[in-house]
Amino acid sequence: MSAPADVAEKAEKPPKEPAGTSIAFTATLILLVALALFGRRIFAGAFTDEGVRTWATMFVGVTVQALPFLVLGVLLSAALTAFVPASFFAKALPKHPAFAVPVAAASGVILPGCECASVPVSAALMARGVTPAAAIAFLLSAPAINPVVLASTAVAFPGQPKVVIARAVASIAISMILGWLWLLTGKGSDWLKIPKNRHAEGTPKFEVFRSSMLHDFLHAGGFLVVGAAAAATLNVVVPRAWLDHVASNLLLSVLVLGLLAVLLAICSEADAFVAASLTQFSLTARLAFMVVGPIVDVKLIALQAGTFGPKFAVRFAPATFVVAILASLLVGWWLL
Amino acid sequence: MKRNVAGLVIVFVGAATVQLAVSNTYLRYVKPGMRWMLLAAGLILIALAVADVLMDTRKKNPEEEGHDHSGDDGHGHNGLPKAAWLLLIPIFALLVVDPPALGASAAARQSPVASKPIQPKSNSWLADNPQGGPVNLAVRDYAVWAVWEKESMKGRSFSLTGFVTPAKNGNWYVTRMGLTCCVADATAFMVEARGQAAPPRNQWVTVTGEWAEPSKREDGDVAALTIDSVKTVTAPNNPYE
Repeated sequence: MSAPADVAEKAEKPPKEPAGTSIAFTATLILLVALALFGRRIFAGAFTDEGVRTWATMFVGVTVQALPFLVLGVLLSAALTAFVPASFFAKALPKHPAFAVPVAAASGVILPGCECASVPVSAALMARGVTPAAAIAFLLSAPAINPVVLASTAVAFPGQPKVVIARAVASIAISMILGWLWLLTGKGSDWLKIPKNRHAEGTPKFEVFRSSMLHDFLHAGGFLVVGAAAAATLNVVVPRAWLDHVASNLLLSVLVLGLLAVLLAICSEADAFVAASLTQFSLTARLAFMVVGPIVDVKLIALQAGTFGPKFAVRFAPATFVVAILASLLVGWWLL
Repeated sequence: MKRNVAGLVIVFVGAATVQLAVSNTYLRYVKPGMRWMLLAAGLILIALAVADVLMDTRKKNPEEEGHDHSGDDGHGHNGLPKAAWLLLIPIFALLVVDPPALGASAAARQSPVASKPIQPKSNSWLADNPQGGPVNLAVRDYAVWAVWEKESMKGRSFSLTGFVTPAKNGNWYVTRMGLTCCVADATAFMVEARGQAAPPRNQWVTVTGEWAEPSKREDGDVAALTIDSVKTVTAPNNPYE
């Protein structure tokens, strides 16, 4: 890991255009090509421990799995920024923020992707002047209630459509509650770093598209790496066997599966299958797993801290977790 | 991060993604269905970086002296997020560590007990296979059915392919990891191998033998097979089930 750190130091030297630029460029190029050609020989013997290699597999796995969805997300968000006029959102959403929240939550149905895609898209919505409360509702509902996720839930729980309904109901309820909660408590505070529209009026549309996609990918990609590292670490450190000891207690099992969803950071399109395999747990506890996973997990917290600022993330993640657990208990008691 | 350095990093990330998809290495980390998405994502990233460099050079030439451009330069170019350097870590991991597919160390961390299937599988496949000859079965199916559908499995012989996970007291398991999305959600499916000494850890083998009464454990029953023959094989293209 020392090699990238070296580069980071080089890059942080005061910019000296154009010589500084070309030095940083050349150094990075040489480093990357050298790694590609001789990396394995230089570090032969350094990463032979099985635990370390398992960690690396998990880390690369989470990153590789999330990358296409992140690219889809930044592509959509750049398109929103560049090609959809701000006035469209003003017309599409009700004027009053309290009414805009449910509309935004319901429109989460249209973004077919997992949670990595929804962070840049909702950031773009905020930058386009959509009220943060509505963008938050969209951020939470999109990865949980889109058709791909609901279909995979139906496949994972054959013959039990009530699980799909419970998941959709709980997820929509949570996104609306948190949107409204933002209106009550967060409005006017400086926790949320609203992503700025960095482009002057009259910049060519394609130019805006290209540069916002570049910026968003670099930014979100960096935080995705942090989240993937955290998820890999927890995956390797937390033994799965301790799960079996808590399955019998309803409250405890809901909490534990909720926490597991946060730690494992499984993509929302796949979590239903994992939930289905946790057969020693009640349906309510497994519902909590599927409701928490898409809206708060270590990878998402890292992405949100990067996009909306750490002050927002430290308040938003616990609030979301608590509301999600309560909602799962309530909906589980009602529907399952 | 400077704009041209950013372009370079993105090209490497894109190229690495394409390389993963083309070389089948991606099967160590995700499901086969991800191939096209990875290919598309990689190509989009490369196109993005190339377009950026092309547009930048084209813009630079006519406007070299314009103050408008240099102002934009200060913000746009140096304003790219530093977090992007972190993207080099997975590249480093891929180029240098070359992470292998999950093996015995990951499997040993999970319980060998197969959880009860949500729906009973239909066992028509057993009728299709004439009595006597060993039936080729996925480890993940055997691990579940040998415990939960004992009656139909009794007295039949099976052939399983997986890697070796050693356990205490010279016991060992024929193991296969099952993925639902990526390696982060990998579940180990393990079948206790009886009657033959353990091959080396992580060795891929095809074992043939007869159904055996599952072993009791505190947390449930573990599928078992009384083994007649062990054949070492090369790892399959897709190590997961």
